[in-house]
Amino acid sequence: MIDAGRTTVHAAAEGVRAAIAGGARFVAAFYDQADDVRQIRYVIAEKTGLALTAGVIGDDPVPALSADIPAADWAEREIRDRFGVEFAGIPEARRLLPPSDPGSYRRSAAPEVSTVVYGPVRSGIVESARWVIETAGEDFIAVYPSMFFKHRGLEHLFTTVDLQRATFVAEHVSGATAASHAICFALAVERALGIRLADTDRAARLVLIEFERIHQHLDALAKLADDGSLAVGAAQTFAAKERVHRLLAEATGNRFSRGTVRVGGVYGDLLGAFRAVCAQCLDEVEREATSVVDGLFRTQSLLDRLIGTGKLSSELVTHYGSVGPVARGNGVSTDVRMTADVLFSIGEGDEALEEDGDAFARARVRATEIRRSFFIVRDALNAAVSASTPPKATQRSGVGLARVESPQGELVYFVRVVDGRLARVAIRAASFANWPLLVHALPGNIFTDFSFIEHSFGLIQAETDR
Amino acid sequence: MSNWLGRGLRRGLLTTRYPFEEAEMPQRYRGRVRLIEGAPSQAVVRAGSVCLSNAIELQNESGRVRLSRCFQCGACEREAPDAVHISNDFEVAISDGEAGAARHRLRERIRSLGRSFMIRHVDAGSDASCDQEIQALFNPFYDINRLGFFLTASPRHADLLLVTGVVTHAMAGPLRETYDAMPDPRIVVAVGTAACSGSIFLTGRDVVGPVHLVLPVDVRIPGAPPSPFSIINGLWVAVGRAKAQLAAPRR
Repeated sequence: MIDAGRTTVHAAAEGVRAAIAGGARFVAAFYDQADDVRQIRYVIAEKTGLALTAGVIGDDPVPALSADIPAADWAEREIRDRFGVEFAGIPEARRLLPPSDPGSYRRSAAPEVSTVVYGPVRSGIVESARWVIETAGEDFIAVYPSMFFKHRGLEHLFTTVDLQRATFVAEHVSGATAASHAICFALAVERALGIRLADTDRAARLVLIEFERIHQHLDALAKLADDGSLAVGAAQTFAAKERVHRLLAEATGNRFSRGTVRVGGVYGDLLGAFRAVCAQCLDEVEREATSVVDGLFRTQSLLDRLIGTGKLSSELVTHYGSVGPVARGNGVSTDVRMTADVLFSIGEGDEALEEDGDAFARARVRATEIRRSFFIVRDALNAAVSASTPPKATQRSGVGLARVESPQGELVYFVRVVDGRLARVAIRAASFANWPLLVHALPGNIFTDFSFIEHSFGLIQAETDR
Repeated sequence: MSNWLGRGLRRGLLTTRYPFEEAEMPQRYRGRVRLIEGAPSQAVVRAGSVCLSNAIELQNESGRVRLSRCFQCGACEREAPDAVHISNDFEVAISDGEAGAARHRLRERIRSLGRSFMIRHVDAGSDASCDQEIQALFNPFYDINRLGFFLTASPRHADLLLVTGVVTHAMAGPLRETYDAMPDPRIVVAVGTAACSGSIFLTGRDVVGPVHLVLPVDVRIPGAPPSPFSIINGLWVAVGRAKAQLAAPRR
C-alpha cells in the first residue's frame, strides 16, 4: 500500500508549508523506506483530524521545512542524523543524536559568560538528559537541550517482533505512560488492518488512559510542590498518586497497567475488573487526589514560585507546534479528545484552557484535568456498552496513523504493516514536540526556577529518546 | 492557607510495616512467575514460545523461569495456564553470591559510624516507570527513611547505586563515572528487568545491555517496573538484612 513514485518530496514539503500557512499544525516527519523507495512522510493536524502525506526522496537534498517552521526542527534533524538523509537549509547544524559534545554549544563570545553543563546524570531521581546553560551569574542567557542519551532503538525493535506482542514493545517506549503508548500503537495497527473494536474494550481503554492522566498529573504537581520545599504537600500528593497505582494493580495486575492492551482490544474482561475495584475504592482515591490538589493551590508560598515563572506566549506555542498542558496553559486548543478521529471524544467546552502561559497556568490545567478524568472514568464505567465482538479483519497489509491524548499531550503512532509484519513504526511523542519550547521558557528566569519550569512542563525523557 | 498538619493527622498512619510485617500487596499483582510442577512439556514450550524476553527456558524434560528476564506481561499464563502460575509474590530480588564481602564491609562501616545508608540513582536508559517507583519509596506509604535509607545528591557520599534501565551507548560512560566517584565499599543494585537482564532489548543494536556488562552488580530486582515493596526487599538484601535467590551462573 505504498503510494510510491508519484509525489516528490519537494512537492510534498511545499504542500505541508502551504497547509501550515493556512492554519494547520505541524505534527511530524518520518523517514520510511520500502524496497528501494525512500520517502518522507509528513503529518499535519487540521481541524478535522490528522492528515498524512508522503514524498519520494530523489537525488537532490530534501528541502528543509525547519528553515521557517521551527516545529519541524527536531523531526528533520532526527531524520538527518538517524538515516543519513541530506537536507538543504536546516538552520541547526548540530547533531540531535547521538548527543553532541557539550563544547559545541557555546555561542556567546563575552568573557563574563560561562557555560554550565548540567547532566546527563543529575542529582535526585531524574531521567538522564543534558542541559548546556550559558550564564553570567544566576540568570539564563541561553539554554540548549542535549538529549537522546536514552535512545534505545525502539522503533527498530518493533520490526523484529510479531504484531500481537508488539504492544509490549510500545509499553517500553514510556513505562510511566504505558497504556497511552500501547493503546495508540494498537489503534494505528487496527486502522491499518481495518480491525474494529468491541464497545467494552473501547471503554476499558478510555479508563486506562484517564487513570494514567491522573497519576502523571499528580506526579508533576507533587514534583512542583517538592521544588517549592513544600515537603508535606509533596508527600501527600505522592500519596494520592500511590493510591491510583494500587487501584490499577488491583484491577490490571500492574501498577502502571502494563500487559493489558492487545491489538484488537484488551486482555480479558478489563472493564468488569475496573467496575469491581472502583466500586470499592474510587470515591476515596478521588477524594484524596482532588483535596490534596486543592491544598496545593491554597498554599501561597508555592503559588508565589509558580506565578509568572517560565512564561510563554501563545505565538511561540503555535509556532513550535506544542501540545498538551503546555499548549493549553497558553489557551491553545490541542486536546485531541475534542476531535472526532480519536478513541473517544469529549464535549465542547470540556477542554481545560488557561491563558496566562506561566508555570501556574500549566499547573491549573493539570488540576482541572484530574477532576475531569475522574468524571470521564465514572462515565465510562457506568455506560451501558455491549460486549459483542465485531467481525474479524481480513486485511494483512496497510498503513495506519493514530493519536491519543497522553498525559503529556498528543501522542502519534504511524505503522506500516506488510503481510502481517511491522515494516515501519514511527512515534511522535508529546514530549518530543514540547522540549524545544522549554528553552524559550527559561531566559528571564533565574537558576532556581529551572526545576519549576521543567516540572511544569511535566515531560518524559524515555518517550522522547525512544 | 492550607492546613497540611491537620490534613496529615486526619489521614492517620499510612506507612507500611514491611519488611517487619506482611506487605499490603494487591491480590492480582503479577509478581513471581512459576512453572507448575509436573506440567506437560508441550505446555511449557507453549508458554515459552509467547515470551518476548525468553524468560522461560526448556531444560531436559522440564523448564525453568529466568526471573531476571521476566517483565511480568502475563502472556505465558494466558497462553498456558496448565504450565504457568503467576502469584503476587513480589520478593523477587536476585543476589550475586560474590557480593557478600562488599555487603559485609559496608554493614560494618555503617554500624561503626552509626549512620544511615546513602542512595544514589542513575538512569542508564529506563522507560521512566522504574524511576517513578524509586521515587515512590519516599512517599508516606513506604517511607524508606524509616529503614535508614536516604537519597544523596552526590556519588561521593553514596553507599548504594541504584541503576534503572538498559544501559545505552551514550549512558555507559556517565554511569561508569558515577560508580568511579563512589567511595569503597559500594554496592550496585539493578532496578527493573531492563537493568537486570536487558529484557526485550537483548537483541537491540542500540544498547550495551544489562548493567552487569558495565559495572559489578550485587543485587538485581526484576520487574517492569518492580513494585516499591520489591525494591525495599532488594535493598534489604543489599545491606545483608534479607536473603535472596542466588544468581544462576551467567553464560
